[in-house]
Amino acid sequence: MQTRGRVILLVLWLLALAGLGWTVSQRLKVSTDLRSFMPAPTTPDQRLLMEQVGDGPGSRILLLAISGRSCASCARGTGTSMAGGHSESQLAALSQGLVTALHADPRYSQVLNGGFDMGALDPKLLPYRYLLSPTLDTQPLDEAYLADQLQQRLDDLSSPGAGLLKNLLPRDPTLEVLKLAERWTPPKSPELRDGVWFSPQHEALLVVQTAAAGFDPDAQAKAIDGIQQAFHALPGSSGASLDLSGPGYFSMVIAAQTRHQADWIGRISTVGFIALLLLAYRSFSSLLLGALPIASAALAGITALTLAFPEVHGITLAFGFTLLGVAQEYPIRVLSHRRAGEDAVQSVRALWPLLLTAIASACIAYLAFYASGVNGLKQLAVFTIVGLLVAGFSTRYLLPHLLPRKVRDVADLRWLVKARNFVDHLPRPRWIPVLVAVAIVLMLAFAPGSFWQNNLAALTPLPQDMLMHDARLREALGAPDVRYLLVLQAPSEQGVLALSETLQPKVDALVAAHAVDALELPSRYLPSIAAQRARQKKLPDGDALKKELADALAGLPFQPNLFQPFLDDVATARRLPLLTPELYAQSPLGQRLASMLAQRDGHWLGLGTISGLHDVAALQALGNGSNGNVRLLDLKAASESLVVDYRTRILQALLTATVLLIFTISFALRSARRAWHVLAPMTLATFLVLAVERMAGIEISLFHLVALILAGGLGLHYALFFERDTGDPAEQRRTLHATIVCVLSALLVFGMLAWATIPVLRAIGLTVSLGVAFHFCLSILMAPHAHAAED
Amino acid sequence: MIAALGQPAPARTPFAEARFLKVLDKPLVVSGELAWLGGDQLQRRVDHPDQETASIANGEVTLQRAGKSPRKFSLSHAPQLQVLLDSFVALLSGDGSRLQQAFDIRQTGEASGAWRLTLTPRDAKVAKTVASIVVDGDGKQSRCMQMQEADGDVAIDLLGPLAEKMPAQPTRESLQTLCQGSH
Repeated sequence: MQTRGRVILLVLWLLALAGLGWTVSQRLKVSTDLRSFMPAPTTPDQRLLMEQVGDGPGSRILLLAISGRSCASCARGTGTSMAGGHSESQLAALSQGLVTALHADPRYSQVLNGGFDMGALDPKLLPYRYLLSPTLDTQPLDEAYLADQLQQRLDDLSSPGAGLLKNLLPRDPTLEVLKLAERWTPPKSPELRDGVWFSPQHEALLVVQTAAAGFDPDAQAKAIDGIQQAFHALPGSSGASLDLSGPGYFSMVIAAQTRHQADWIGRISTVGFIALLLLAYRSFSSLLLGALPIASAALAGITALTLAFPEVHGITLAFGFTLLGVAQEYPIRVLSHRRAGEDAVQSVRALWPLLLTAIASACIAYLAFYASGVNGLKQLAVFTIVGLLVAGFSTRYLLPHLLPRKVRDVADLRWLVKARNFVDHLPRPRWIPVLVAVAIVLMLAFAPGSFWQNNLAALTPLPQDMLMHDARLREALGAPDVRYLLVLQAPSEQGVLALSETLQPKVDALVAAHAVDALELPSRYLPSIAAQRARQKKLPDGDALKKELADALAGLPFQPNLFQPFLDDVATARRLPLLTPELYAQSPLGQRLASMLAQRDGHWLGLGTISGLHDVAALQALGNGSNGNVRLLDLKAASESLVVDYRTRILQALLTATVLLIFTISFALRSARRAWHVLAPMTLATFLVLAVERMAGIEISLFHLVALILAGGLGLHYALFFERDTGDPAEQRRTLHATIVCVLSALLVFGMLAWATIPVLRAIGLTVSLGVAFHFCLSILMAPHAHAAED
Repeated sequence: MIAALGQPAPARTPFAEARFLKVLDKPLVVSGELAWLGGDQLQRRVDHPDQETASIANGEVTLQRAGKSPRKFSLSHAPQLQVLLDSFVALLSGDGSRLQQAFDIRQTGEASGAWRLTLTPRDAKVAKTVASIVVDGDGKQSRCMQMQEADGDVAIDLLGPLAEKMPAQPTRESLQTLCQGSH
């Protein structure tokens, strides 16, 4: 092609890429919600898990600890003990300040620090206290009760610390507000010092519930950022430090850590990769042009995804880019197979049938993933198939027209001649496959530990000190367990609240028996309409109450008319519309309640949070005889069963893919014997990776499986090209050159990942590296002898 | 002068207190014993009309009443107790600098005869609740402590031997006279 034609083609190609890039930037919506990646849940527990993963009350809890850092200038306490430079009273003031700052912020539905939260009940809702507090269930507002209460208030007034009470007394002589505040503080709470929670390690403790879901890393990052900004804006915060913990914080830290590590490993291996290709082909333009097919593949793959799916999951993209690593082979093959003086188009033509076989078989195999029915896998299939096709066809029909005419024929390289000779003279005994197969079986049989890793979280583990910090804070704060939930089910919202009320006595008994430290039911925050109505009916009318109060006041020294605000509130409470969750949702506590209620498929669910579960069986027994309307949900077990389901789907897809692959290869090569030479080393190498990893004590996860699939795709290329016998020794040398460049570049990129400290990166890196090495060795050792074919 | 008031811990003194509260039409009267146990520990024990003990230690108040489980709350929620702690302990331990740290001090009278200290809390948060404390004394003996709250309520404590002289129907005036009147 003429230079002008080449320039036009290059410009058009780049324009097409830019167009794809623009489309992607306009349309791509990356979802981080794990639910869109997981298979559709089948059991009720799995379905709940899917909802819990995003929305559950437990997942929205952030634990905060404010501690003093040693500083010389801030050592002016007011006589209380010192904690690392900040006195406890200073830390308490910071804790108080943070609560005030976050209280009105819509990003947080609840902020607790142990401080006496008089504002727990929205001032507008104050008259509702008579409907929310259980007092009236057992106690009418009659003369005897009022007289007893008033006498107690008189005692309170004579005792120290009456200041708080004096303001409250005229409106609330029975102290319902305090009863509610006590009811809403966590049942097991840390030690109070200077009015706020403190850990034994002298940290002021707080609990914040975010309005955003726990596994929405972006929203969590904003919420966490808001807390940190509010903290640093407090006067006196400069010498103190704020530590966070909780699921939302963890998901943010994990994402950042994984990205950070993947980034620096990626940078190093990119530099290495470029150096390797420069060394192999001695041509900048070849290198740059060789990047075009894979760039086109990635952009076209994502564009296809954005057209076919409303949202693309982040994990799909990560998996997809990993699998697309196969496409990097196509330009490398073309570059290595160039002959001196020959047009690149001609080189490609000779190579194309085999390349097409490789591409077609990979694409057909990936079809199995599309048929799996799992959304995440479907996306993966669309991305990979489109990517591979685009990479393949652009390598065949576009790239050769752009490549420079003058090239170095690698076939004449001295080391390559020696290497090819060495390879050709390697002994290839027929017993090798048998030996390897026996070794695989033995290793798999005697490998330690369990075969599968079902805990996805184990792949993105948190630093040990962070976990211990979390456990310590969780224990100190009595914060709800993230593993267990008590699930209540009823046809309506009110049904859930009523069910919750009937359970309360049984739950109290369990807490008393130390089966569980605390179990918070939805009715703790809002009684059912029925209970409220019953209480409302028990409220005496204005005249009656006035008389009872007057009688109760006889002989007591209270000022006349002092309690008019009380009479007014009771009169208001009698006429109030009953408090529904919707009405309640306008106040922060209503938000807290809303996180415990969920509507699904025409019925309602209530979620009871559990702290300190000691006797799982006792809690499971709560559900006996409830027809499944009350049950203990083990989120860990449910998530593991989901992973098992997921893996089963992948394995089924893999099995279908294997069958498809066998047919495609046999058809393409039109010989069962030749197909055996391609498929046998590939299969053995794949199982050998599994066996070696298992022997090393590694438990196999979804990520290992995906990495095995990539390695299998690369191995298919090695075996196909080694099996090919052109009868031309120079061409055989070029094949070896191309394969060595491919193997080295794969080892470089994935070998680097194998050194990562984050297990998910290590899993992919190690598996692909081992796979590439085994596939390479076995496909050489099991390839038919070049000479044998000539004989 | 304050140094001369100092006593070794533990120091105990009987007290009788009358509280004049706006919400009540007559004063609340209690009596018992105040004890400084050394350091920042103070105990206020009420014997009449009902048993009640308030103990202050480590910035926390523990309130115990006969037949009830103890209640704990932070000293920061009870500025009255904070002031009591600051003034009473400083006076009993003869620690003038501590008194100076917590209060603005105004003194009238003379150290050897009848004297009066007027203490105004320096801490703005405390001052929102407690406007001032007036301590009347005679020579080495504190006789009386009046706590003027910001909302107009007053608590008058008669200390030591004077505690027995609490009238059955006290008025602010009669107690003022008792506090100031020389023997």
